Amino acid sequence: MEALDLINVPETKLNAQQAMACFTCATCVSGCPATGIDGFDARKLVRMAVLGMEKELIDARWPWICTMCGRCDYACPMGVKIGDLIRNIRSLRGRENVPGTLHKGVTAALKTGNNFGIPREDFVFVMKDVAEEFADEEGFDDFEMPLDKKGANILCTVHGKLPFGQTDDMKFWWKIFYAANESWTIPSENWEGVNWALYTGDDSAMKTMVGRIVENMEKLEAKNLLFPE
Amino acid sequence: MATRLGLQKWYPEFFKKYGTYTVFDLMIKYIKEGRIKLDKSKHPRLATYHDPCNYGRKSEMKFGHGYYEEPRWIIDQCSDNWVDTFPNKGFQFCCGAGGGSWLTPYKEERVYYGRKKAQQIKATEADLLVVSCHSCYDQFKKSLRVEYDMEDLEVKYLWAMVADAIVL
Repeated sequence: MEALDLINVPETKLNAQQAMACFTCATCVSGCPATGIDGFDARKLVRMAVLGMEKELIDARWPWICTMCGRCDYACPMGVKIGDLIRNIRSLRGRENVPGTLHKGVTAALKTGNNFGIPREDFVFVMKDVAEEFADEEGFDDFEMPLDKKGANILCTVHGKLPFGQTDDMKFWWKIFYAANESWTIPSENWEGVNWALYTGDDSAMKTMVGRIVENMEKLEAKNLLFPE
Repeated sequence: MATRLGLQKWYPEFFKKYGTYTVFDLMIKYIKEGRIKLDKSKHPRLATYHDPCNYGRKSEMKFGHGYYEEPRWIIDQCSDNWVDTFPNKGFQFCCGAGGGSWLTPYKEERVYYGRKKAQQIKATEADLLVVSCHSCYDQFKKSLRVEYDMEDLEVKYLWAMVADAIVL
């Protein structure tokens, strides 16, 4: 008699993550801080995927309460990829029903190059303004903001929330670069480092955003990319 | 995370043309090459470190290397007084703000999710919490500190710790 093959089953989008291999041991459930929130139960979620309950999963709040932290994946004895499953469920929800500002941010990013929709001139103004403030601090008086500098050793992206409202928090890396005498740059367009499409399950938007970083590297002839924090 | 995943998936040739650094690699390079000098006395208070999911466990699973030791080495250069949480590294608890949950309307759920992490941090009795993720930073600073009676806890980016310890 042949061994029962639980791994090589026909794949659908929601059982493609080895969900069929689940032993229902509930290690994932025991280790998950979200267990019980709204009845959330990772094992049940996996069963639902195996049973083809797509609509129920797509409509549920569960995939959005899970933080995709991967603790379940890490501990699963059968290698079920619950995090990827969650992302795939998220991807199947109508974009108008993606909760909160996630999809709005993705839309803004595609249109303006950053999640908060900050126009280029505003971004340049903020960066130069904060740079002047920084240069007033003791020891940094010849600091200049290297926007769009060609041929830099390091190209940095920016976390959109920083120019949007937490400008002081940008100065830490500036200070490190200054002290290390680094040659670095920030592009004035498509500078966003945070890709919310990872969270909404939108591969097409995610690819576009990553592609823009590649374009900036080419355009500014940078040597190295500092991965977004 | 997303950028590295995306580059690997859709732009694999990128890695032939360009170098890449994580924030950890770059800080370690500057310290090891002597390009920045750090003064440990700037951080005398007891500190602890929160492993972010993306740079830790998820990097380990997706890229074959979790950044567990690197941030700890960096903290060692900035402080002589810090303790780890337990469990940590691959088995750490998420702060509750991962996966974009900061941007959903499910605030109550996010705060409840963070209770385990809050308990862990409290158990260390640390005054300073070092983080290396923007979402974790917001969750600790704006939510968990307030909701779980930890308002005296200072929350600080790892790169802020380094920047503040720099001797020019």
